Amino acid sequence: MTEVLAARGIGMTFRNGDELTKVLKGVDLTLQTGELAALLGASGSGKSTLLSIIGLLLRPTAGSIAIAGQQVDTFDEADRARFRNQRLGFIFQFHHLLPDFTAMENVAFPAAAPGGGLSGAMVRRARELLDRVGLADRMDFPATRLSGGQKQRVAIARALMNNPALILADEPTGSLDRVSAEKVLDLMQEVNREDKATFLICTHDENIAARCSRRILVKDGQVFTEAGLEK
Amino acid sequence: MFAILVARRYLLSNPVQTALLVMSVVLGVTAFVFITALIQGLAVRLTNDVTANSAHVSIEPLTRVARVVPGANADVQSVALVSTFQRRQIRAWAPTVALLRSQPLVSAVSPQISGNAFLVRGEAVAPLTVTALDPSALDAISPITTKIISGEAGLGPDDILIGAQLAQNLGLSVGQPVLFRTDRGVDRLLTVGGIFQTGLLALDERVAFLSIRTARPLFRLPEGVTNIEVKLTDPADARPFAAFLREATGLRVTSWQERNASLENALFAQAQTGRLIQIFSLISVLVGIASALTLSANRRRSEIGIMRAFGISKRFIAIVFILQGLIIGTVGAGIGCITGFALCSWLATMTKTDGTMLLPIAPDQGGYLTVFVLTMLGAVLASVIPARSAAQLDPLEAIQQ
Repeated sequence: MTEVLAARGIGMTFRNGDELTKVLKGVDLTLQTGELAALLGASGSGKSTLLSIIGLLLRPTAGSIAIAGQQVDTFDEADRARFRNQRLGFIFQFHHLLPDFTAMENVAFPAAAPGGGLSGAMVRRARELLDRVGLADRMDFPATRLSGGQKQRVAIARALMNNPALILADEPTGSLDRVSAEKVLDLMQEVNREDKATFLICTHDENIAARCSRRILVKDGQVFTEAGLEK
Repeated sequence: MFAILVARRYLLSNPVQTALLVMSVVLGVTAFVFITALIQGLAVRLTNDVTANSAHVSIEPLTRVARVVPGANADVQSVALVSTFQRRQIRAWAPTVALLRSQPLVSAVSPQISGNAFLVRGEAVAPLTVTALDPSALDAISPITTKIISGEAGLGPDDILIGAQLAQNLGLSVGQPVLFRTDRGVDRLLTVGGIFQTGLLALDERVAFLSIRTARPLFRLPEGVTNIEVKLTDPADARPFAAFLREATGLRVTSWQERNASLENALFAQAQTGRLIQIFSLISVLVGIASALTLSANRRRSEIGIMRAFGISKRFIAIVFILQGLIIGTVGAGIGCITGFALCSWLATMTKTDGTMLLPIAPDQGGYLTVFVLTMLGAVLASVIPARSAAQLDPLEAIQQ
């Protein structure tokens, strides 16, 4: 097992006028390849902020992060975007599919846009992924014609398109009914198990956390492990 | 290029909005084409009206010549322009005519004797402006033959061609003799050879034509001519050609533009007004594109945010919006040029009861290439602001919305 994520001393302070709010207070977090980790915490605990920082969507005010062996703190905006595209996968609470594109095009988009076009290899890869998430018969459907659960499965396929080192999921079943949510969780577990894909799932749902191999609690801006809620 | 696919999908996702946007560009471009064709057509018609019946370049003798004036100091002399007190004429006109005829720009040359005279019939005396010219070049500068309503256009040694109003005032008809008296005090009985009608009262009442041979003794000009009139293949060349002749001959040379300064000013003012209308048409097109794309960028905030989240570059997103502007501009400009041409061509077929065009429009001069290129460039420019705002979108903020 190799280290996919190494976050050291992550701090995040938001300024609101003269008021400073410390959301994260020196968080240390590591993830190994193939881990399926749940990031738990109450609303306002800082778990979404931590996920955004790890996803390079937000710059921390303190600390350093290495992902897949690369120190990303010094990256400029363009480098961070490139890194997100090539090494990270995102699954959000709402699927955020592009409504003017088919399921296949949505999956291939992260590879096709930077690559200058939709190559045959990209189409093949997108089709494989859609087949994997059980949507082989929906490949050419416009995103708008898919059900909520199908859309979220397309979003998972899209997150896998560029073979990311780390997949970040923010309440991935939050907008789904129970049956669809179960299918999505089954799928993520399957991908994790078969591909050794590393997941960090931000959730407040104990049922999801129970299906993960590791539970990480964020409380008062600090991270606690499941062992004893010790820092 | 994947950005083209994305831009096309975005445009087709809301076909009604895109169609309205393209239509606004079409209307703007059509207005531009119409105004351009109308202004150009009007300019061509006015220019033709002026240049078709008059010389493009007129050559006359200088009214004054340079004389050396001795100064107080014998070594210093000055030059002053003084009157010659001599008869104004071009004595050595033959070399000038030869020079003119050797120029490829020149289509006709007419050396003339112009002067003032009277027609006397009984107690009635009518003042005249006389143009005496070579009978074989009667129509060289201004077509007379087609305007003859009675008699013939020939200019025999005893013939005079007079206008219809003058003939009516003096009760003259073709074949009748009339006493002709020049401002040099020479009288001669001439015969009315033909009567012309131009439709312009000033000409039909005051102008008469003679043969230059007949005019020489009458105006006491045995050798020279008073003026040389020149027609060019392209009237637009008149100004530089006049400058060339001025330099080459030392004579007083004026182009038709200089003789019709007010027309030129009017055409200039008209062109400026047209240009303003053209600019406003284009600005309205560009504002339309910019506002529609800004709305589109706002409507697609979350989509753009998710693209940015999974690492699509700002450049790609900006290109998508610029391409949308370019596609709208190109399609709108293309259709606008076609509809503008169709509109102008249709208007060109509409005539008044006298057979003349209802509008002096020139469908082939609608500035099509100009408006096409300007609209495309403008559309790209107009899409830069929405493209920038879309590209600058914070992915986290957009996703959270």
